[in-house]
Parts: sequence; C-alpha cells; structure tokens
Amino acid sequence: MFRVHSRVNFPMLLRVTGWLMMIEAAFMVFPLIATIIYQEVDFYAFLVSTIITGVVGASMTAFIEPSRMEMAKREGFLLTAMIWVVFSVFGMLPFILSETPFTISDAFFEAMSGFTTTGATILNSVEHLSHGLHLWRCLMQWIGGMGIILFTLAVIPMLNHSGGMQMFNAEVTGITHDKIRPRVSQTAKGLWLVYILLSVLLCVLLWVGPMNFFDSVCHALSTMSTGGFSTKDASVGAWNSAYVKIIMTIFMFLGGVNFGLLFKACTGSPSDLLHNDTFKMYLKIISLVFALFVITIVINGQVLSISSVTIDPLFQIVSTITSTGYTVTDFENWGTFVLAMVFVLMFFGACAGSTSGGAKIDRMLYLLKNLRNEIHKCIHPNAIMSVRINGKIMPSEIVSKVIAFLCLYVLLIMTGGIVLTAIGIPLVDAFFSAFSCISNTGLGAGVTGYGSSYEIIPDVGKWVLSLLMLIGRLELFTVLILFTRSFWRK
Amino acid sequence: MKIVIVGAGEVGSHLAKLLSREEQDIILVDKDADKLAAIDANYNLMTLRGSPTSFTALRDAGVENCDLFIAVTPYETSNVTACAMAKKFGAKKTVARIDNYEFMVEQNRDFFTSLGVDYLIYPEYLAAQEIMTALERTWVRHWFELHNGEIILVGVKLRDNARLIGMQLKDLSYTQQTFHVSAIKRNHETIIPRGDDRIRVNDILYFTVTKDHVDDLLEICGKTQYEIKKVLIMGGSRIAERLAALAEDKYKIKIIDNNLEVCKSLPERCPDSEIVYGDARDIDVLREEGIEDIDAFVALSESSEANILACLTAKEFGVNKTIAEVENIQFISEAEGLNIGTIINKKLLASSKIFQILLDADINSSKCLALADAEVAEMVVKPHSKITKGAVKDLNLSRDMTIAGLVRDGKGMLVRGNTVIQAGDHVVVFCLAGAIHKVEKLFN
Repeated sequence: MFRVHSRVNFPMLLRVTGWLMMIEAAFMVFPLIATIIYQEVDFYAFLVSTIITGVVGASMTAFIEPSRMEMAKREGFLLTAMIWVVFSVFGMLPFILSETPFTISDAFFEAMSGFTTTGATILNSVEHLSHGLHLWRCLMQWIGGMGIILFTLAVIPMLNHSGGMQMFNAEVTGITHDKIRPRVSQTAKGLWLVYILLSVLLCVLLWVGPMNFFDSVCHALSTMSTGGFSTKDASVGAWNSAYVKIIMTIFMFLGGVNFGLLFKACTGSPSDLLHNDTFKMYLKIISLVFALFVITIVINGQVLSISSVTIDPLFQIVSTITSTGYTVTDFENWGTFVLAMVFVLMFFGACAGSTSGGAKIDRMLYLLKNLRNEIHKCIHPNAIMSVRINGKIMPSEIVSKVIAFLCLYVLLIMTGGIVLTAIGIPLVDAFFSAFSCISNTGLGAGVTGYGSSYEIIPDVGKWVLSLLMLIGRLELFTVLILFTRSFWRK
Repeated sequence: MKIVIVGAGEVGSHLAKLLSREEQDIILVDKDADKLAAIDANYNLMTLRGSPTSFTALRDAGVENCDLFIAVTPYETSNVTACAMAKKFGAKKTVARIDNYEFMVEQNRDFFTSLGVDYLIYPEYLAAQEIMTALERTWVRHWFELHNGEIILVGVKLRDNARLIGMQLKDLSYTQQTFHVSAIKRNHETIIPRGDDRIRVNDILYFTVTKDHVDDLLEICGKTQYEIKKVLIMGGSRIAERLAALAEDKYKIKIIDNNLEVCKSLPERCPDSEIVYGDARDIDVLREEGIEDIDAFVALSESSEANILACLTAKEFGVNKTIAEVENIQFISEAEGLNIGTIINKKLLASSKIFQILLDADINSSKCLALADAEVAEMVVKPHSKITKGAVKDLNLSRDMTIAGLVRDGKGMLVRGNTVIQAGDHVVVFCLAGAIHKVEKLFN
C-alpha cells in the first residue's frame, strides 16, 4: 500500500461514492422505462447496468464502515474528481451492453462527453440508437450540467456540513463560489429547483412546437445543460423550424447565466441580474458577435433567407458561447472569419455558475480590467488601480489566480493538441478537438473538415480527450491537484 | 433559525463556526474580505462583505427576517448602531458586544431596549464573573449552573488522593446516588464514560449534581476548600478592572502591570486595590510583592503564553489557586493538562453566553455550553418524542452521548437507568462534538 494511507479518509470516500452510485442507478431507471415503453432490446442493457451500478453502490455503503466521518479539503477534491470518473465508468455500461455494442474507449468517451456536457460524440449517425440510449445520453448531460455533487448535496442531508462545502467548492465553476442561501444544501436545492423548472418549461414549449414528446424531453435535457446531444443526425436542423430555434436559443442563453443570479431574479430581485457586470458583458459579447456574423454572412453572399441573418447566426452564437455545440445547417459556408469568432466564443464560454463550459466570462472581465490597469500604469506608474467587479474591489490574489487559471488553460490546450498530433491527427484538427473538449463545447471535429465525428480519432486520443473534458468541467485545479506530489504526501 | 453575525473577529468567527455545525442558517458580515474568504470556503455558512452599519449590507444579509442579530465587531458604537438598525429592519432579537461597563448598569437598560438592543455582551465582565466563581470555589475547574442553578455541572481534576481513583463507574452507581459522572477529560480527549470505564489520576471529571449535593463531591474527590484572602493579579487589563470592581470588598487585591501609563490610570477605577509597577514575570518582583503569602494568582496579561508560565511559577511558590487567561483556543487543552487551576477564555465565554440567548430565543433548539470538544445541551422534551418511549437504559442510546440530569416542575434531579423521561422535562445532555444531531432527533 502507499504510505499516504492515513492522509486521505478513503473509507469515507468510498462510502459516499456508494451513495452517489445508487443515485446514478436511480437515474438509469428512466431510460430503462423508455426501453420498456418502446419495447426495445436495450432493455436488458439498462436492466443489467442499473442492477450492477445499484448493487455495487449499495454494497459500498453497507459494508464500508468509516472510522471517522470528517472530510477535509483533500477528500473534497479527490471525491469530486473521482465521482465524475466513477459516474462515467458506470454510465458507459449501457453503451457497451447495447444492441450495437460500443468499444470501451468509445463508450467511456461518450459517457464522459455526456456528463461533462461536452456533447462530442463518436457516432457518425445517431438515429439508429434506441430510445433508451438517446434518453440516457441526454440525461447524463442533464445531471452533469448542474453538477453531480450539487445534486447530491441537495438530496443527501448527511453531506450538509463542511465536508460538503469542500465538494461544493471543488465542483462549482467560477472564481468565487457565491452561495445563495446560508447552508450548502439549501443552496444546492435552490439551484436545482431553478434548473428543473426551466427544463420542464423548455420541454413543454418544445412539445407544443413541431417536436414529439420524446424528442422534446431529450432536447430539453441537453439544451438546458448546454450539452448538445441530439436525437437526430441533422441536429436541430432536422425540424427546420424557426420556433424550435428561437425557443432553444432562449433556453441555451439562460443556461449560460449564473444560476445563483437566476435564483435571485426569480425570488424577488431581478434588478441584480441587470446590474451584474458579467451578465452585461455576456449580453454585449453576444450582440457584438451577432453584428460581426451578420456582416460576414452578407459579404460572403450567404443570405439564403431571412433566417440566415437573424435566428441562424444568433442560434449559432448562443450555442457556441454556452458550449452547447449545436450547429445550424449552413454554418460551414459562412467563412473562416466566423470560425475564428467561434474560437473566441468557445474560449471564454458564458457566465460562471452556469451549466456552460469554457474559461467563463467572469475571468475574461478580470483579465480585461487588469490589462487596462497595466497599460494605464505604463504611463502613470504611481496610479493606484484596482479590478472592480460589481462595484467591489477584487483582491490582487484573486486576480493573479485568474491569470494563473487562464495560462494553465492555454497550456492544457497546447499540451492536449500536441499529444493528439503525436498520434497522427492533423495539426488544426488536433488543436481544435483538444480545445473543443476542454471547453466542453463539443463542436464536432467535422467543423474543421476532419471526419464527421470523433470516431476517427484513435483510442489513445479518445482517452486523452476524455481527460481534457473532465479537467475542463471541474475547472482545472480540482483534477490537476491530484497529480501533484504534495496532495498525496504526508 | 436564521442568524446574522456582524464582525468576523475572534468571537464572531468562533460563533459562526460553532453554529454552522448545528442546523442554523448563518450569515457572517464583515468589512474585511480576507477574513471572510477563509471561513466561507471551509464552513457551511454564507458570508457577505460590507460595513456593519451599512443599510445595503444589512438588507442584503436579509436582516428583516432574521431571528437573531449578533453584532460583535471590536467597536461598541458600531455594534449598538448595527443592532438598532437591524431591529428597525425587523430582526427578532439583537445582541451587541460592548466594552463599557456603564452600558451594563441596570438603570441604563431601558435606553438600549428603546434603541433596539435586546442583549448586551461584555466579555470582560463575563470573564471577571467567571474568575469570581473560581475564587469562591477553589477546588473546581469548571462550574456551570443550569436552569437557575437547579442542576450544577462541576468539572474537577482528580489527584492521587481522591477516593474515586481506580474505581469503575458501575461500582459508583450502587454506592453513591447524589452525583452523575457525565464526562471524563483524559489526555486532550473527552470521553463519555460507561459502566466499565475506570477513573484514573489526572482525569478531569464532569459531575452533574443537584444543588443540595455539591459539597459531597469535595470529600470523594479528595479536595479541600481554601479560603481566599489575598489575590495577586498580573496585568491591568479590563478584566482586572472589572474583577477589582466586583471583588475589592471581599479580597485584598494587588495588581502588577509593566506599563507605567496603565498603572497611573488604574487607581482611579480600582480605588481599593494596590497597584504595583513592575514585571510579574520577574521572580524578584513577585517575591517583593509577597508571592508566598498570596492565596490566588490571576494572570490576565495580553500574552497567553506569559499567563500560562506565570501561573506555573506561582504554583511553584505554593500559591493554591492560579487562574490564567488563555486567548488562543488551541492552547486551552495544553494549559488544562498543566497544573493551572482555571482557564479563562473571553471568546468561549462570550459564545456560551450567546448560546444561552439562543436558548431563550428558540426553545426548540436549545444549546448551552461548548467545552473544548464536547457540548452540554439543555433540551426541552416534546410530547411523543423518542426519548419518552421508555426507561433510559432501554433506549439504546448511542455511545457518544449521556443524559446527565433533568429538571421537572422546577426541581432538579439526576437521571438513572430506570428513569422515564416525560414531555416537558428540561433534560441536560452531554454529547461529544458532532453528536448533537442525534440528540435533537431523540427529543423531537
């Protein structure tokens, strides 16, 4: 055994993991029901997966008796990172056991892509999948969107202590983790409530439109979580309906807003939302990029209908900035400038505390304000400048943390891209895939013209990309800290 | 219960941490973002940056629907103002920490009540009172009175001359019926003893007794009560001033301080005490001031370390009772292991006091005192709660708690194995830190 044994409270970690796996098994019951309704062969895949997950989880809780209950920072980080891997490992079972079995690499990639709401897929065509698998893919995104840990905090009262706090901090995105209520379980409940209500509303709105019930459920799940899995090969384009696009644009947009702010807006102070610097920036970026898109489309002569200068670019922008990764039909023809803008949108993503990926607009704000200060200081070296967000001065430690984050983020994209080129993927595609995965956008490799899905990437590459997705979803530090020696050393 | 605490200083953050482990909604407000950041990231509570007397900050904290508002910033004026504002916003109860004795005087109470300040906490005064209790009962380490003194909790450190040494608790329960051994503190660890636990030398025993039987403990613990006449105080702090004010007519007090300015100003407030300018850490000074004839030595300087060491020195000179103020909570357990009689900590005293206020404000979640790693709660039994379902010994209570005593119809009594607890009883429960949830389940 390693000498670190007493440092981390492993029995407690495993026990909590057991609880969480039972929750995952409970979620698997939904696709199981779907397979019963549609009388599909995958019924057995889901039955076996649910039983395995449930039994392993239950036995872990029942037979592991931790001597001490407390969980500190280390356990918080480790558990959070571990849970996401464990969920993907068990979440891939239905894919492996299904009628058209996936390889382990493919299944793990698909599951990780689901939970991290990346929405990258190894399937060239999704339409042959059973209803059960479709629902499971979207459900994975929905759970991962708001956060596995956050869900657990809302439902398991036992984690309502400082150990739960550590997990909350390790999972929730953003620079500072604003609590909306004093206790972490109340915060988790509040956030999930907003999330569930929005999802239900979206589902109803889509169902009213041209979608059937099953498709609207799946799309509601993957839109609200800004994941991007679809039940159709042509994605949202399959319906060719402005109504669907408008509704989905609105909800993807909401999915990119800090849920804490949404909660406050719903519970009585909507003005907070409008006065929030990040939210204002979010709106500004979307409007600016929209103008640029429209101009480019007009110059390139791609105005095919009224929707190609209105809802189509808007849909594409919101889908990219919120890291959803749906694409509209003519996107590839809009030119390389649009593609460049897409890079920028992907890099920063939407607001922290939302279901979106990327480095978050909050960090961009810090970076820009700090840059402005530094430039100003070149001429006025004695000027005292501070980074002010929402009217409050941010300590310089936080600013340097943000900058460290952004450097690390770029470094990881570089490393990921270089590793992918080593296994024979063309340069641009290698970097684009790494970028797309770490920002949890999951825009297909197809965008750059290399294959039509991630299937073409060799197995090693799929594991590398899965790791990148996890690192990106947990905002770098939670995962990377596990690879440091000081984490494990006594 | 929703509690807003303003001021993340030592008392504020200690309270916030303690309360966050209970089922309380805590919002901690402070001007200093750095102080808040560490607490926010590690404890189950919400923090808010803002001035204690800012309308926006108080509104953001949701003061209008909070059950208890606690202002414990270092400045009494901000505390009083903040409480007044909070009360106007709609806070149910307000508590302000003050450091001016005048505010505590009874005839000035109405003024504060009219302002909207319900309770005043003066930690230095609490400390002085605590020292008085210790001086009156020299053999006791801890002395807590519960429910108007009907039940008393006594902590005693056992030496090798105590009759109890080597006995198992089950032997005790047949011979003695007047006390209950509720907890034992042994080597930095608090244990809830069972029948087969044996009492050892240097254990600190926490007894629960009814008020008529306190004196029985003296004999079985091998203690004698010393009469205190001369008290030497090291450090002319505010606690010393308050202590002098309380005890000048009872004891002969001598205060040693090494700050000339302090010494010059002290006679005005402590007219009957003798003031000496000098360093109490200097053995010659102590000899000159007659340390050999002193009955009690109280170390109240700013430095916890100096206080501990000075008390040890005084012990060597044969002083019977030494009392040290120790402000670093981490040091308390160490200091208790040494031969220092009583340890005073303003933070713990202030938080205990606020716990009691909580008890008054919300009868259902009763809290009272927090020892280093154990808690004593006074719970009111609700009808049909689990605890009333049979004799105590048949309830299979968990090992980290014990029921010490109860008050029924205003009369204190001890709890035995075959006692049946009834609804409406006030029950005193000892539990280890973290077990309070289990206790609450039993009573609700």
